[in-house]
Amino acid sequence: MKNSLITTIFFSEILKGMALTFKTLFVRPVTRRYPKVKPVVAPGYRGLHALAKDENGKMKCVGCGLCGAYCPSQCIHIYTAEGEDNKKIVERYEIDVLRCVFCGFCVEACPFGAISLSEHYEYSNYSRESFYMTKEKLLDNWDKYFPGEKGKRYYQDFWRPMSEDFKAHEGQAMFSKVPDSIKAGGKK
Amino acid sequence: MNDLMALPLSFLQSLGFVGQLILILLKIVVVFVVTLLHVAYATYWERKVIAHMQLRLGPREVGPYGLFQPFADGIKLFFKEDIIPATSDKPIFYLAPVIFFVSALTSLAVLPFFDGFVVADINVGLLFLLAMSSLGAYGIVMSGWSSGSKYSFLGGLRSASQVISYEISMGLSLVGVMIMSGSLNLSEIVRAQHATVLGIYALPQLLGFFVFMVAMFAETNRLPFDLPEAESELVAGYFTEYSGFRFAMFFLGEYTGMLIMSSTATLCFLGGWTIPGFVTNMLPFLHYVPGIVWFLGKVYCFMFFFYWIRATLPRYRYDQLMAIGWKLLIPIALANIVITGTLKIMGWI
Repeated sequence: MKNSLITTIFFSEILKGMALTFKTLFVRPVTRRYPKVKPVVAPGYRGLHALAKDENGKMKCVGCGLCGAYCPSQCIHIYTAEGEDNKKIVERYEIDVLRCVFCGFCVEACPFGAISLSEHYEYSNYSRESFYMTKEKLLDNWDKYFPGEKGKRYYQDFWRPMSEDFKAHEGQAMFSKVPDSIKAGGKK
Repeated sequence: MNDLMALPLSFLQSLGFVGQLILILLKIVVVFVVTLLHVAYATYWERKVIAHMQLRLGPREVGPYGLFQPFADGIKLFFKEDIIPATSDKPIFYLAPVIFFVSALTSLAVLPFFDGFVVADINVGLLFLLAMSSLGAYGIVMSGWSSGSKYSFLGGLRSASQVISYEISMGLSLVGVMIMSGSLNLSEIVRAQHATVLGIYALPQLLGFFVFMVAMFAETNRLPFDLPEAESELVAGYFTEYSGFRFAMFFLGEYTGMLIMSSTATLCFLGGWTIPGFVTNMLPFLHYVPGIVWFLGKVYCFMFFFYWIRATLPRYRYDQLMAIGWKLLIPIALANIVITGTLKIMGWI
């Protein structure tokens, strides 16, 4: 009680608070001046989709449909047709970005590294149509957001396709093999 | 600075009555413009200081470091639609912000900014200040009454009771200063202070200074005593229904009130435009610093204190506000008067 009387008389609690605010005055603000100063995204960021092109500028996608089969929100639509020499051609490859949850399963599923998620995140728009990605738009995204060596490095470092090697690269964003504990639990 | 002004001043004085009139008008224009600029940048600095105390940046977009923000705000307020509620009492609704703003600006007339520079050197300057700050409360009460809104009404009522409570302790806290200086003229108070050993009344009048500081926050409706405009309870209190330039007048009036309260505290407790004699004796070159620098420096410190408190303290509960006013500040102020008066009669000060 004696202590509280002293603290009341000398406003020690108020003074403590004022010391804190005064100290904070000289601390660097945490504000991010977003539209002016863009944040640097973490490596392996999962942003807008793009369809990869090979060295000749041709689409890598073969239309196997694994990405669409894996997609948990079922937002990938692939339509293939038979071309000359009985070759399979991808007629339409469409992603409804507004349904996508950016889990990255499609990239993991793809055996050829044909679909990728870019580091681009500023694609807000006024119309829903602009979020419906067609094949042409997705190929455009590759040119826009993976210029030069960037695309190669991107999937070398983060989304190396299984067709190249099956060993997980250190730091690779993929699910490890099923742990034994879960396997044991599944058997019961 | 004084030498530079002496020649045109003596010329104007030689013109007699007309010259005096021109001189006073010139002073009024200077004081008015300088004060309004200070008010504009008081809002800017408040936002900056509080922002940095909350780890934010504050205004940055308008001009370099956001320095033109006050003008952007002013232009916006000036061109906004002037909405008048259908249920309002029109003449009083129009009059209230004018009363509030004018009474705040009128107080500037008696403030000596540096030696000899005062628009009206009247012998009851301190009383005039107190009277004008009470008159400003009428603007608040009238705006609350005439708006035809429960929030404004409650804000006005709160303001009335708050100002009555704190006006008493504020007046009583200044009585000690009056006893010590023997004058109500603000210039005389500053000169009497300068003649003392310490050069300021803040130390011998510590109790009075404390009471004045607390009452100052209540008088200007600033946090932690901003009950009349408590935004979490009363939307915006007495100026809820005001918009555009009528709102701006309340806003300007509030900040002018802060400047005036800071100036009053500076003049009555911190020696106004002077600095203590022992400081100038130690550092003689300080004689060449013009008095306005000291005055403004002290006023800025008080203004910073206003911001600092606002960034730190939450709002008091209403009964706490009244308890502080009546049970704490008034007894302290009365005790201060008794002590100071006794010492004065004994001839010790």
